[in-house]
Amino acid sequence: MRNRSLKTDHTFNTFLYQPGPAEMYRVRLPELNLHMEQLEKVLGYEQNNIPVFYQDKLKKMWLEAADKADIKVGYRILPADQFHWHLTHIICGEVKFLTGKIISQQLKNSETVAIFAGTAGPAFEAWSKQLFDQGDFPDGYIADLLGSEIIEAAIDWMEIKIQKKLNHHSLKMTNRFSPGYCGWNVREQFKLFSLLPQNFCGISLTDSALMVPIKSVSGIIGIGEKVEKIGYPCDICQMKNCYRRRKTVSVP
Amino acid sequence: MNKDLYQQIQYCIERGKVDRNSPYPPDMKGQDGAVELTQQAIAAGFPPQDILLKALMVGMKNIGDRFGCGEAFIPDLMISAKAMTAATAILRPLFQSDVGFQKGTFIIGTVAGDLHDIGKNIVKMIMEGAGWRVIDLGTNVSTEKFLETLKQNPQASIGLSALLTTTMVNMERTTNEIKQLSPSTIVVIGGAPVTDNFRQKIGADAYFPSPHLLPDYLNKRLSSAMI
Repeated sequence: MRNRSLKTDHTFNTFLYQPGPAEMYRVRLPELNLHMEQLEKVLGYEQNNIPVFYQDKLKKMWLEAADKADIKVGYRILPADQFHWHLTHIICGEVKFLTGKIISQQLKNSETVAIFAGTAGPAFEAWSKQLFDQGDFPDGYIADLLGSEIIEAAIDWMEIKIQKKLNHHSLKMTNRFSPGYCGWNVREQFKLFSLLPQNFCGISLTDSALMVPIKSVSGIIGIGEKVEKIGYPCDICQMKNCYRRRKTVSVP
Repeated sequence: MNKDLYQQIQYCIERGKVDRNSPYPPDMKGQDGAVELTQQAIAAGFPPQDILLKALMVGMKNIGDRFGCGEAFIPDLMISAKAMTAATAILRPLFQSDVGFQKGTFIIGTVAGDLHDIGKNIVKMIMEGAGWRVIDLGTNVSTEKFLETLKQNPQASIGLSALLTTTMVNMERTTNEIKQLSPSTIVVIGGAPVTDNFRQKIGADAYFPSPHLLPDYLNKRLSSAMI
């Protein structure tokens, strides 16, 4: 019940108690901070050694992706009196998230959380499948990869948007955390979406908690005066092939 | 002469040079690719089995080895597989049956509840490139569908893919039921959340963090089973 004390001490911040409804944005591809160098690295060519052929292919497919992408992102900042932090879980209103210690530790000084979701749109699965089916294996792979990178960049875009809003109130953000990663069971996706408007950003969940469209991301971000982004603690996680590892810094 | 031709075919596969018209790799532009060289080898009377084993498959093995060392990347594997697929399409009608042409049958699918297929597609392509007949059951595949396909192809090995922690648990039921139906069937698993500990827990035969290791494993398992 850490927040009970925060509410009465000097960290009280009026904004956190009246943050408003869920907000949703449509984003165009050129607005994203996503560069060719990054895509080349994700393809495996980390040392500027990508063949010109693939470089050209990436550029061409990037233009196609701009037509196919239907990017929507959004978030809702939970009123601080509905948020309670615990060592192994957090409580958001009526919902208890069993985030586990890894995430809970990173949310430790949060006064509330932003609950978010976003999608690159439904076209990427079909595009990738079509290319694989016609034997264009590298292209099919690149199409899938573009969908993944676009939605991650769109959520980065959304984080900047949130941070700008928080700056007016001297508040900061943690990293973002998603069900399915850092020890947080992906089934908790159902709870997470229960805190967002129905069909938020056009995303629905399958029985197995999979988001449709597949190129979608959801999660939470801690908010507070004393929180900070300290990198993902991948060295203590079991998920060796997690995509987050490539964005990792080691946390003591 | 045949050694030169075989080496050229190997090189085309390894570099991903599909045919004369293919723009990749740029330094081989306008040159014959795997398709034309395979046609030349056939016209010159080289045994189809030799072309397959001594040229095409060696090229795929070479790119797999380079991938394993970090000298090649997934797009390189994929374009090699594309060249391999094109060349084997020419070779295939010359085999009287699939027995000499294919090493075996591999059934693959993403387990129930999971719609991700990129990892499965990569493995499928590599297995086809390595000379296996692949039955792709797609995504969200029920245990029953795997069993039904195994009954129709009792000698097949099976690959299960999952990208989610929630759906990888479905691998356990599928693996158990496959093993109950046919204890000797090889079941391999893969996907981002999967680990070797998980593989041991559910009783699957192997887990590979990287797809290029799978054909070698299956080749060895099957050849040791034949001894």
